[in-house]
Amino acid sequence: MPENQVAIKVTNLAKNFKVYYDKGRSLKDVILFRNRNRHDVRQVLKGVTFDINKGEAVGLIGHNGCGKSTLLKLISGILYPDQGDVKINGRVSSLLELGAGFHPDMSGRENIYINASIFGLSKKEIDARLQDIIDFSELAEFIDNPVRTYSSGMYMRLAFSVAINVDAEVLLIDEILAVGDANFQAKCFSKLQEIKAKGTTIVIVSHSLSQIEQFCTRSIWIHEGLIKADGIPIDVHSQYLEYMNELREKSGDSSLEIPAEYLAYMQEKRYKENLRLSMTSEQQAEIEKNKAFRWGSGEVQITSISVTAGDDKECRLFEVGTDVYFKVKYKVNKPIYDAVFGIGFFRNSGENLYGTNTRIDNYGKFDITEDGEFTIIIRNINLMPDQYTVSFSIEYGQGIPVDYWKDALKIDTFTSIMDVGGFRLNHDWEFKGSKELEGNGGK
Amino acid sequence: MSRLKEIFEYRQMITSMVRRDLRGRYKGSVLGFMWTFINPLLQLLVYNMVFSIILRAGIEKFYLYLFVALIPWLFFSASITGGSVSIISQKDLIKKIYFPREVIPISYVTAAFVNMMLSFIVVLAVSFASGVRPTVGGILCLPVIMIVEYIMALGIAFISSALTVYFRDLEHILGIIAMAWMYATPICYPESYVPEKYLSLYRLNPVTPMVNAYRDVLYYGQTPDLKNLGLATVIGVVTLLIGVLVFGKLQKHFAEEL
Repeated sequence: MPENQVAIKVTNLAKNFKVYYDKGRSLKDVILFRNRNRHDVRQVLKGVTFDINKGEAVGLIGHNGCGKSTLLKLISGILYPDQGDVKINGRVSSLLELGAGFHPDMSGRENIYINASIFGLSKKEIDARLQDIIDFSELAEFIDNPVRTYSSGMYMRLAFSVAINVDAEVLLIDEILAVGDANFQAKCFSKLQEIKAKGTTIVIVSHSLSQIEQFCTRSIWIHEGLIKADGIPIDVHSQYLEYMNELREKSGDSSLEIPAEYLAYMQEKRYKENLRLSMTSEQQAEIEKNKAFRWGSGEVQITSISVTAGDDKECRLFEVGTDVYFKVKYKVNKPIYDAVFGIGFFRNSGENLYGTNTRIDNYGKFDITEDGEFTIIIRNINLMPDQYTVSFSIEYGQGIPVDYWKDALKIDTFTSIMDVGGFRLNHDWEFKGSKELEGNGGK
Repeated sequence: MSRLKEIFEYRQMITSMVRRDLRGRYKGSVLGFMWTFINPLLQLLVYNMVFSIILRAGIEKFYLYLFVALIPWLFFSASITGGSVSIISQKDLIKKIYFPREVIPISYVTAAFVNMMLSFIVVLAVSFASGVRPTVGGILCLPVIMIVEYIMALGIAFISSALTVYFRDLEHILGIIAMAWMYATPICYPESYVPEKYLSLYRLNPVTPMVNAYRDVLYYGQTPDLKNLGLATVIGVVTLLIGVLVFGKLQKHFAEEL
């Protein structure tokens, strides 16, 4: 790779931190207790070497304290290395802290200037970006109000908008994609994709492996101050997760930090593998398409769901107030124990209307050792006319999904009654003192 | 040199920080920015009461004598004491964001300097109203004196802000030093009060030639002694160079010491 293609060149980088037993730094401590002020030197990075090429998006992973955040700070220039060096080609912007230098009493607009100037932008550069920043933050109507009147979500939106519009050639990001509401997050993510497409070099430190897989072309696993693996994210991550799992099993300490995300990730992976073994290629393609809606470890799989009004006829349209039968068939790849069956109803907008499972409904746990089925009967379905999506789940143990099928099917409801709202509440009328004229008494 | 270029690239940050400091200072008060002018006027009033009515010093127009030296001194002492905590008070920025660390003390001293210049509007007005007619040479020298003072204050702020990160007691020690320094400088008394045998020691004070230069222009209405001014300039430049070197050396570990 020619030298000018390298955006970040890290050579034999090492960093020590002093760990004080008792951080006494006052005059008295220094003079009277010279010996007390002892410290250990902990080597956080022990000689790391790698190149990152222009336009690469790289994820740094590793467990807490492995040195990945320190590495990011060394690259950004916040920390100085004890050994080795970092060479960077182009302007760096680090999204390690959002809203740096914000002054609560100043307006959003003034704070854009302060914050952007801390990233090293000149007045002219800020002027040129001001409109983009305001547009991206969606805060145009509040931009001249003091920042202290903002909600924390608005505050983060403004801060992120500045940081993302710096136009650096190298962008360093530390766990900050969790800003604002889901909409704004999606917007940030697509903005990052856009920045990546423009050829910006991006380095992300994140705990979310799936986020890195979605976004990065390369993953570097830092372990105890050294690079343990470096390559395509999926490969590096599976090595990493296997290692973490071994570590946990070896220590027998289930409390050892393994984020739920890792578990879900592993289960999803295993599930996909299992499914692939037993499916035609068309089915596989279908599953790929729907993977966002179905996950689980895959020991038991739902094979079919039939919806009827209690007879044998498949039906998707029901009158409000009638009974609906959901019959779910499943097959067993591997027996599971302590299983729970569940169902959930959602609006098209994603709002959860109702959900329950056999544990909530006071059934015992089920051992599933052979293929079978379960039926749930919704009596007098009272969802008002609309389309609804229904999800099904089989899980076991502490809620570990075996097959979670979100939005497995849709049903519609209708009614000839003119009442309004989301649900039909079971009701009666009673009257006293008023006299009903020419009616049929509610009949 | 590359460091200097980088600081120049971050000039907008310096501007923003100075503006934030000045605007934030009187934010929320009824008189707001007017305090920049009212404050020195009220101080003048107090000093006038004390030294013209109670402690009669026997110096003509003593309030002015004091005032033209005190305003520059207040800037200088703010640069020592406030400057010393400037890095510590911005630790969130320093731990999380990269920028040339020099920006912080520069911004702090510059904000204090701008504040002094605004106060000087009052000083000039009072001086003129008291019948002092500065010479053309004096007027030309005034910006030079200010710049020399700025350079010296910046040099000291570099040193004190960097050292305080590693040795927090310095903040309090510097408070006392600043007070002692004020009385070791001819601010509220003339140099002639100092006993002969201490005079050579007394003259080592680098601030004295500066204060004398201010007083020459704004109290005596004469052109300052250029030799005096030249000496102050040399001292200022040397202080700044030492400051830059010390700061450059110490700033590498700021992020982990804070």
